[in-house]
Amino acid sequence: MTDLEYFKLSKPEKMLRSVGGFFARLPKGIWNGIKKLGLFIAAIVKGIGTNLADLVTTFKNGDWKTRLSYLIMGFGSCARGQWGRGILFFLFQTVFNMYMFFPNAQFSGCYYLGKLSTLGTIETYKEGRRTVYGDNSFFILLYGVLTLFFIAAFIYTWRMNIKQNRISEQLLKNGHKLKTTKDDVASLMDEQFHKTMLALPTLGVTIFTILPILFMILVAFTNFDATHQPPSKLFTWVGWDNFNQLLSTDTASYGDTFRHVLLWTLIWAFFATFLNYFLGMLVAIMINKKGIKLKKMWRTILVMTIAIPQFVSLLYVSKMFAADGLINTYLMKWGWISSPLPFWTDPTWARVTIIVINVWIGIPYLMLIATGILMNIPADLYESARIDGANAFQMYKKITLPYMLFVTGPYLLTSFTGNINNFNVIFLLSQGKPLSLQLSGNAGHTDLLITWLYKMTVNDTNYKLAAVMGILVFVVTAVINLIVYNMIPSVKNEEDFQ
Amino acid sequence: MSEKKQIPEVDIVVDHEAGVIREVKPEHLRSKSGHEKRINGSIYAVLILISIIWLAPFVFLVFQSFRSYATESGAMVAYLLPKQWSLDNYVWLLTDPSSKFLRWYGNTLIVAIFCAVLQTFMVLSVSYTLSRLRFRGRKLIMNVVLVLGMFPGFLTMITLYFLLKQLGLTQSGAVPGMILIYVASSGMGYYISKGFFDTIPKSLDESARIDGATRLQVFRMIIMPLAKPIVIYTVLMAFMAPWGDYVFASYIAFGSEPNYNVAVGLYQWVNVADYQGFFTRFCAGGVLVAMPITALFLALQKYYVEGVTGGAVKG
Amino acid sequence: MASVTLEHVKKVYDKNVVAVHDFNLQIKDKEFVVFVGPSGCGKSTTLRMVAGLEDISDGILKIGDRVVNDVEPKDRDIAMVFQNYALYPHISVYENMAFSLRLRKMDKEEIHRRVCQAAEILGITEYLGRKPKALSGGQRQRVAIGRAIVRDPAVFLMDEPLSNLDAKLRNQMRAEIILLRKRVDTTFIYVTHDQTEAMTLGDRIVVMKDGYIQQVGTPQEVFDTPVNLFVAGFIGSPQMNFLKAKLIQSGNGYSVELLGTTIPLNPDQNQALAAKGVKTQEIILGVRPEHTTVLFDNKENAIECTINVNEMMGSELHLHLSSQNKDKIIVRLPTVDLSKEQRAQLSYGNKMYITFPAKVMHLFDPTSEKNLIYG
Repeated sequence: MTDLEYFKLSKPEKMLRSVGGFFARLPKGIWNGIKKLGLFIAAIVKGIGTNLADLVTTFKNGDWKTRLSYLIMGFGSCARGQWGRGILFFLFQTVFNMYMFFPNAQFSGCYYLGKLSTLGTIETYKEGRRTVYGDNSFFILLYGVLTLFFIAAFIYTWRMNIKQNRISEQLLKNGHKLKTTKDDVASLMDEQFHKTMLALPTLGVTIFTILPILFMILVAFTNFDATHQPPSKLFTWVGWDNFNQLLSTDTASYGDTFRHVLLWTLIWAFFATFLNYFLGMLVAIMINKKGIKLKKMWRTILVMTIAIPQFVSLLYVSKMFAADGLINTYLMKWGWISSPLPFWTDPTWARVTIIVINVWIGIPYLMLIATGILMNIPADLYESARIDGANAFQMYKKITLPYMLFVTGPYLLTSFTGNINNFNVIFLLSQGKPLSLQLSGNAGHTDLLITWLYKMTVNDTNYKLAAVMGILVFVVTAVINLIVYNMIPSVKNEEDFQ
Repeated sequence: MSEKKQIPEVDIVVDHEAGVIREVKPEHLRSKSGHEKRINGSIYAVLILISIIWLAPFVFLVFQSFRSYATESGAMVAYLLPKQWSLDNYVWLLTDPSSKFLRWYGNTLIVAIFCAVLQTFMVLSVSYTLSRLRFRGRKLIMNVVLVLGMFPGFLTMITLYFLLKQLGLTQSGAVPGMILIYVASSGMGYYISKGFFDTIPKSLDESARIDGATRLQVFRMIIMPLAKPIVIYTVLMAFMAPWGDYVFASYIAFGSEPNYNVAVGLYQWVNVADYQGFFTRFCAGGVLVAMPITALFLALQKYYVEGVTGGAVKG
Repeated sequence: MASVTLEHVKKVYDKNVVAVHDFNLQIKDKEFVVFVGPSGCGKSTTLRMVAGLEDISDGILKIGDRVVNDVEPKDRDIAMVFQNYALYPHISVYENMAFSLRLRKMDKEEIHRRVCQAAEILGITEYLGRKPKALSGGQRQRVAIGRAIVRDPAVFLMDEPLSNLDAKLRNQMRAEIILLRKRVDTTFIYVTHDQTEAMTLGDRIVVMKDGYIQQVGTPQEVFDTPVNLFVAGFIGSPQMNFLKAKLIQSGNGYSVELLGTTIPLNPDQNQALAAKGVKTQEIILGVRPEHTTVLFDNKENAIECTINVNEMMGSELHLHLSSQNKDKIIVRLPTVDLSKEQRAQLSYGNKMYITFPAKVMHLFDPTSEKNLIYG
């Protein structure tokens, strides 16, 4: 079909086509993804190959300084007068060796690496008053992963060290001068400035985000829970068991509860995102309407809920809605109701209450964002629409709304995934209550995946299931992101409206 | 005679706040039609209603914080206005030897100040680098951060706890522990300030580099002076976040009451420790926490709005 | 003071997008060279490679005798003026101009002397205390230039410096750049998309398209002997007229057959064509609007046209004509000598006749688009 024919279609037909188009593209997209992955793997294999070949040729063609550097890192650099680099290389190698082959065999990298396949076999026990220490699965896993990190870093550094030698040799042969340590330091402030700037953040993220995430992904494949607490009770690998437990349809498992919680999580995220979005936009339009005075005051009043820490505002509001809270007591005093409204005790009431209170928290953000965007809509769009004869509502439908949706498309996406993980609102308002006997694992009717995960970690020390849940939250988020990235044009192409 | 064509008479008005130029009917032609008036009237009604809903909980909170602890109950009661206004709760919070409120307040303040400094440093480093420097692996870093961001934060809580424990930074070391946790990964929140840096013309950097500046000097002498709004925004966010964090703080400081932050301490009062008696104290504590934060926020509101809208528009 | 040499310089983006192909150019010391071409032709990329703001994918770049491929911009002894001025908004004009000197740890007195001198030359002394925001476009442009001249660089790079100015100011600044060039007397590389700027400023101009150099030469050379259709059409305003015609070889001579008229070529043209072994073939004939003579009455070998549009420019008229086989032709007609009756004739639909001598004709091959004589 040509583009021109497309314009003649009716609205439902157009929608059908765009949805159809998405699914029509899907297999191709997946295939492209697979192809890309294949190419990526091929590139890695090829990369390893060329690196190995390069190692051999460098050794063959190199002088003795280069060759000795294969054993003692940084030797070549020192021998050629690049002391700074050489010493750093050498120090790194020393630290690595110390860590890997620490004299006390109990805590060396090799020890952890060796035990990684079993996660420890000797439990710590008490012999009379004396404690006999054995393995500790937790540390074996944690330091095992860390050791793998360290080894990867070592191989990379070692490779760099060799490469350095080759490059230096070549430079010297061509009559160039090598960089002195002073040059190296200067270049860290200039050409290599990104390394200086990113060093600390990368280190922080690696140790405090990447390492823990990898660790937890691995925990999802172990039986680390309340009954397997090292060092007295070791845990070990169990394969996909935990995933089965959470995803199976078997009534005895967590499967039902998981689906229940997942469904509510998605419903919650939907309402929390879109209700706030449209109400926030509405409020922004009202405040910004011509002729409305005290714009700044209205805005400031709304912004109060952002300014005041949530644990104060939400905790207080949660108490207001309690059975003995202000709202119920006043309603009873006025005789409107005879018994307290079940704000936090009935599942449906609780869910609606949470969504409504979240509007209180969420509207101001959207009001601010919408205000910013409304002011950015080019005035001539409205003027030309007015000349074309559009009324206020038509202008809203044809200009304001599409523009807002287009510009805030990416924001909506992050907001949606943010709401899937919106811990604070649920935890401070209802703690996931009301609980129910139908749900296992201490889950309540307003629990999100994330709050359930929290409960599993803190209350039940059921780390294995918490880990699985974390992975599933990741999967849900990633899938939503992928789909939306493929459907919202503005995420891909930011230029259209500009 | 041809019909006299009416040329609409308009004033061109520059609306500085909105940053647009508008056409406005001059005063003498502005006939406030009844329709228009009715619409504006109902909008005012809605806005007033909204304002009441938005402010009421805070007003109630303040009322209850002033309820006398001695003559009335410290628990939740079925009336709003205190029968006797008093500063009992505040006095208890600030002076009573069994109140750890000041300690918690101090803890949180220390964490917040350190975060404001260190986190800003981290965020600005990352966002500046990703926005204005070009190097191998830049795209990779951004993608990795994107993927990492999809994992729920609490997933790593246990691991972090044990990592901190190894370093002696839990319970009694909870304050430095919290700082470390908040700051360590904060570089991942680079998005909004990168968006800001992206708007500074690249030719400024290039011009400075031709003028003889190293990249460090470009950062220090050219970009930083221009980045004031985003620096303020980042500091504000970094400073405010620790006041509201309950989850990590409670986990790290678990059981060690003197090392709580305000959120953990007050939460205990409301939900765990015999809250009935502590309710008004919670209210008073909440007021003491909220006041400086709110004042700071409202004072710097402009920068917050710039950051939030800029971030949302760019994605 | 230095020469700039580009040998087989190439720029490739993302492994497969080639922005500049095999660029070879020797710029002499104190020469003013202009890179001109439509947007996306690679002229700015080339300039930025000279500046060191873009990596050079392949080839050698020398400033003076030094290969500078891997030298940082600050060590290349160049100064650059950007299209959007790139003034540092947070410091005063004085500090903007002193910035590079301060970074080089120059003596304070000397800095002051140089800034004042540059400000004097550019007439911005009274604005030295202001922030860039408080200046008009033209003043900002001067500051940008001032910032470059205080450096006393070996090579002066300018990237479309006038394109953010309005037309009147642009003409004025163009003249000032010519003056400035006399005073600072160094090597200039100037990038523009405006052929008028290129023609008026350059000692030599480099016409570029799609990453290739089309022609290098003095403005006169490029104007008189364009090597291909693109250069012919790009240089000169209004654009050169292109007409379908036929080149006929008869014995030792050549002639052009156009709309029933036959124009024999000059001896030197004949010679050049014969030397290249050109045979009878279809050609595209190029004639500049200023080289055509307009006749009000028919004459032998004149071409009959119909008037479409008559643009009055003041001192001259631009007539848009169409020939019998629908070729569009523009001619320039000075208004001084026109009589009242003649003016009355110049209206839509009337017939006109044009002629041009052989020496102003450019002959292009329709497929290779090359100039048959100079290409």
